[in-house]
Amino acid sequence: MDRLTARGVAIGYGGALIVQDLNLTIPTGKVTALVGPNGSGKSTVLKTLARILRPQAGEVILDGKAIHAQPTREVAKKLAILPQNPSAPEGLTVAELVAYGRFPHRRGLTLTPSDRRVITSVLELTGMDPFADRPVDALSGGQRQRAWIAMALAQETDILFLDEPTSFLDITYQLEILQLLRRLNRDHNRTIVMVVHDLNLASRYADHMVVLKSGRVVTEGAPKAVIRREVLRDVFGVEADIVADPRTGVPLCLPFDLAAGAGQASVHPAPSEAESLDALEAAEGGVR
Amino acid sequence: MTIRSLWSGSSQSRTRRTRTVMIALMLLLVAALLVSLDTGYIRMSPVEVVRTFAGAGSTEDELALYSFRLPRLLIAVLLGVGLAVSGCVLQGVSRNALADPGILGINAGAGLVVMLFTFLYPTNDAVPTWLLPCLAFVGGGFAGWLTYALSYRHGGVSPVRLVLSGVAVAAGIDAAMIVLTVRLSPDRYQFVSEWLAGSILGSSWAFVLALLPWLLVLLPFVYSQAAVLNVLNLGEEMAAGLGIRVERARIRLLAGAVGLAASAVAVGGAISFVGLIAPHLARRLVGSNHQSLLPASALVGGLLVLVADTIGRTVLQPSEIPTGIVVAVVGAPYFLYLLARSET
Repeated sequence: MDRLTARGVAIGYGGALIVQDLNLTIPTGKVTALVGPNGSGKSTVLKTLARILRPQAGEVILDGKAIHAQPTREVAKKLAILPQNPSAPEGLTVAELVAYGRFPHRRGLTLTPSDRRVITSVLELTGMDPFADRPVDALSGGQRQRAWIAMALAQETDILFLDEPTSFLDITYQLEILQLLRRLNRDHNRTIVMVVHDLNLASRYADHMVVLKSGRVVTEGAPKAVIRREVLRDVFGVEADIVADPRTGVPLCLPFDLAAGAGQASVHPAPSEAESLDALEAAEGGVR
Repeated sequence: MTIRSLWSGSSQSRTRRTRTVMIALMLLLVAALLVSLDTGYIRMSPVEVVRTFAGAGSTEDELALYSFRLPRLLIAVLLGVGLAVSGCVLQGVSRNALADPGILGINAGAGLVVMLFTFLYPTNDAVPTWLLPCLAFVGGGFAGWLTYALSYRHGGVSPVRLVLSGVAVAAGIDAAMIVLTVRLSPDRYQFVSEWLAGSILGSSWAFVLALLPWLLVLLPFVYSQAAVLNVLNLGEEMAAGLGIRVERARIRLLAGAVGLAASAVAVGGAISFVGLIAPHLARRLVGSNHQSLLPASALVGGLLVLVADTIGRTVLQPSEIPTGIVVAVVGAPYFLYLLARSET
């Protein structure tokens, strides 16, 4: 059963509405990627689904009840959110940071043995156990992001939200983070919802993609259903070829020009839609 | 006592280093207390101090020790503890290394209200001591709110903006106080100007009793919020995601910080920079986790004011340098150093 749904949600800062009439269901047990151009409201939608922002109209339903009507601490045991570019206080160690993730489960002032067990296991899971006593601000970008993910995991939630977990990271670290997230999804059954900037990474690592433009859902579905030439043209304003990833068969886009609306004619001859679909299917057959 | 209660509540997760630092700080504090008991207008050897405590000292020594020196030392330590913990909370809540009850105008606001109130009373002795911290709380709370409101822009408060507004609010209030002092009689003027410079005037047990309840209530309260402070320190969104009602938690903690600073100011005058320096030094020693940082700040703050007060009492005998000035000699350059290091 899908646990998290947005119904008729409108979100705005001050007077202007950024998102209107959003209806969205997050598939449980899958990796969902929110994609869209800058200013499309991806982060806003993510924060609203994770109850950080309160919608001006409509509601987000978690397990059958309005999320804002549930005690926030109880919600924090069901879903965790990692904002974009979080910053740790000077000198805070990885182990201390991860221990803060136990906050919603804690009652007294001290960590219980079960808190400690969880902390140890998430440090191992994220490969951060060798760095437990290092200050977070002394780590490399990829390690730091893993430390934050470990903190979010220490919250022991079934649902994990991440806002651009790979931005500002080198390609190695991007893959490292995304593979970690996939492992969490496949092996530990966590539902993952993330904002991703890079369409090809989203296509490769997400089961479900939600494409947003100006605060509206343009289309959603499996990467193959979503990564299409018209979508790229309408949403991102680019002309692109869609090819199948030779290894996995997922669609990858290769933008070659701005869409006509931008005032420039296409100079590159494009293969027909049918050709690229053929290529997709061929690659798929090759892998499976 | 308050310090001890903080200490025994400490978590077992604290590293060995932290424990060592805490023990060292406590030993230093005890040593400073012993030195401070011996020094002053009436000199006493440690032996005489011990003998007096045992009830075998001269009447003169007994009077000096019990009626003047002991309450004053206690006040110095309590004040330092209150201001340091207040600064530590303010820095945590605002995620701003430059926050301090003095810099944010809280001390000035508390001072103004206390001063206005003393106008109503013909002599210093007539002022009901217990009322002073309550009044200071109102004034400090108002000034703190004003600073926060002035620096609030686009849904947030930038560290430097907060400091600039605080300095402006404090300067405005200070100016108002100076205007008021013009209208005072000479002996009242003397009293008020010393108080403004941060000299510990409440060297009687009445002041200890006026300050102590505030600390006994607020220190355990603030310590119970250590985990909340830790999480708030990670940023608003992170804190909300971890299940904190951010606005409520902030107001709760700010009220605690104002209460600690205001009650200290009501008794000790405008001692600035303690709330800035003590948490910083403590952070260097034990790190950013508030479960160790709060008690460590308390110890450093108590030690700092006690040492400053002892120096102030002794270097220019028989006259005294106000404690606040001694602290400022160290505090002002330290503040400038932090300001130069801050990025925004």
